Amino acid sequence: MENIIELKDIHVSFEGEVILDHFNLNIKDKEFVTFLGPSGCGKTTTLRTIAGFIQPSQGKVLFEGKDITALPPHKRQVNTVFQRYALFPHYNVYDNIAFGLRISKTDEKEIAERVSEMLKLVNLKGFEKRNVTSLSGGQQQRVAIARALINNPKVLLLDEPLGALDLKLRKGMQTELKRIQRQMGITFIYVTHDQEEALTMSDTVVVMKDGLIQQIGTPEDIYNEPRNPFVADFIGESNIIEGLMLRDLLVKFEGVEFPCVDKGFGENKPVDVVVRPEDIEITEPKEGMLCGTVESVTFKGVHYEMMVRSENYLWKIHSITYKEIGTRVAMEIIPEYIHIMAKEV
Amino acid sequence: MKKWFQRSYMGLVFLFLYLPIAYLVLFSFNSGKSKVIFSGFTLKNYADLFTDQQIMQALLNTLIIAGISSIVSTIIGTMAAMGIQRLRKWQRNAVMNVTYIPVLNPDIITGISMMLFFSALGISLGFGTVLLAHITFNIPYVILAVMPKLRQVDYSAYEAAEDLGASPALAFRKALLPQIMPGVISGFLMALTLSVDDFVVTFFLRGVEVETLATVIYTTTKTRISLSMNALCGVMVVVVLIILILANLPQKQQKPKKEERI
Ligand SMILES: Nc1ncnc2c1ncn2[C@@H]1O[C@H](COP(=O)(O)OP(=O)(O)OP(=O)(O)O)[C@@H](O)[C@H]1O
Ligand SMILES: [Mg+2]
Repeated sequence: MENIIELKDIHVSFEGEVILDHFNLNIKDKEFVTFLGPSGCGKTTTLRTIAGFIQPSQGKVLFEGKDITALPPHKRQVNTVFQRYALFPHYNVYDNIAFGLRISKTDEKEIAERVSEMLKLVNLKGFEKRNVTSLSGGQQQRVAIARALINNPKVLLLDEPLGALDLKLRKGMQTELKRIQRQMGITFIYVTHDQEEALTMSDTVVVMKDGLIQQIGTPEDIYNEPRNPFVADFIGESNIIEGLMLRDLLVKFEGVEFPCVDKGFGENKPVDVVVRPEDIEITEPKEGMLCGTVESVTFKGVHYEMMVRSENYLWKIHSITYKEIGTRVAMEIIPEYIHIMAKEV
Repeated sequence: MKKWFQRSYMGLVFLFLYLPIAYLVLFSFNSGKSKVIFSGFTLKNYADLFTDQQIMQALLNTLIIAGISSIVSTIIGTMAAMGIQRLRKWQRNAVMNVTYIPVLNPDIITGISMMLFFSALGISLGFGTVLLAHITFNIPYVILAVMPKLRQVDYSAYEAAEDLGASPALAFRKALLPQIMPGVISGFLMALTLSVDDFVVTFFLRGVEVETLATVIYTTTKTRISLSMNALCGVMVVVVLIILILANLPQKQQKPKKEERI
């Protein structure tokens, strides 16, 4: 697979405040890439740099290998679904979607065909004449997608397009977006700060913090092999505890030795250990096991969320078996579910 | 009782406002020579009016000056408003206060100061100076009409247009201009009426030969007693009325849209 977009050593600052620094990223053709990170970490800034609304003070933006850093937005073959839709309030649905084709002077007959194709794609047939300001959030959002897709962009940029929707609608739109991406066969660069959304939709997730890339990988990689405590904590819930890597395949934390699958850290090296709440199994306490006392139990629908206190750590555990508060329990973790991270220096 | 008082008060106000105009227009149809005794209906005064060389020339001047000055000031004013909108807050406030000064200034000061200015520069007064003056005093009104619309504008629509392939100029025309159009139109109509109306500034800057309707009415009512002046006033009232109605039309269409948005 070819890289469709490459960001090379990008530097962006606003009024002296550095937003992106030495930012490097390659995006492959036909990939669904998600930028994930807390508010203000520079996701929109990165997207606007790709779209051409922001000129980096340093670095290059490449599109299919060609330098497009100096190219203005209207000459780039990418289209954007903006964070707040940015529909044209003075046009109806049809004219909004037709905009791009009218700019390129396509004849009206073809426009009519393409618009109705797009309306079908986003499930808005029959809405042609509606005023965009009279549409619901979800409908406006779909108009914005149709409007951006009608130009047949090679890359579609989506800036938190589902942010304003309620949970149920959001789930529906997630599947729909994924379907559209497959159907059109184009690259989606998607911005969100919802980790679940990122994990379910993407081929590749880019986790960002303060304008720095923390980790790039498949959703499975990011979830199972977080590279640092920030990623581990940001992606799903996790227990992060200090441990000691005794040797390859053996780690010790809370005074108990656990066999694991990680190696290459050296001997007697301090490390961070990540264990997901659903990967801990509760059993009867026995000698030599990691034990603790149940401090709280909350029913969460599919499972109980238990807080269990061991010597130095409060564990979050998702379990389908119920234990009363105050019960003494043992925690079993199989080697595959223990993830070791080198200490940040 | 209170209601009756309110109504008659309103009536009185309108009577004072419109009775003199009605009186003026009524006597434009008088067949006699008197401005006091109505002796019969005629359209002769209007016929006289349209055959009077001096008045027709003045009418032409008025239309040309009003037309050019309102178009030019609308373009300059709209561009200025867009520039002002992008300034920082304190800069914007400063510029807006400066913009208000010519609006609040009495016309006579505007007129005299410009006359002195042009004379100091050695520019002879005439058609050109009148036109320049009209453009100048119209600009602040256009800015004031466009600014509120600009403040409501959704700029992301402009970026969306660029993103969809429109050059900056085209994006402005397709995405921003339609949103501020009501303000631009009302600014333009305001400029048009102000220019047609203006007497004082024109009077100081017209030099010797340039006459507009306002100046011609002023000079002729002093020298000739003619009912064709009444007819001229009648025509102007009707013209201003038409502009007023036009100015209010777009706002009426705008309203239901706004309600939908809420
Ligand atoms: N035009 C601007 N002028 C000054 N600072 C800006 C500008 N745009 C963004 N910033 C700053 O850059 C930083 C990153 O902003 P950005 O919009 O990229 O964040 P984000 O990751 O998209 O956040 P969110 O999830 O809230 O949308 C923020 O600290 C923001 O305040
Ligand atoms: Mg953002």
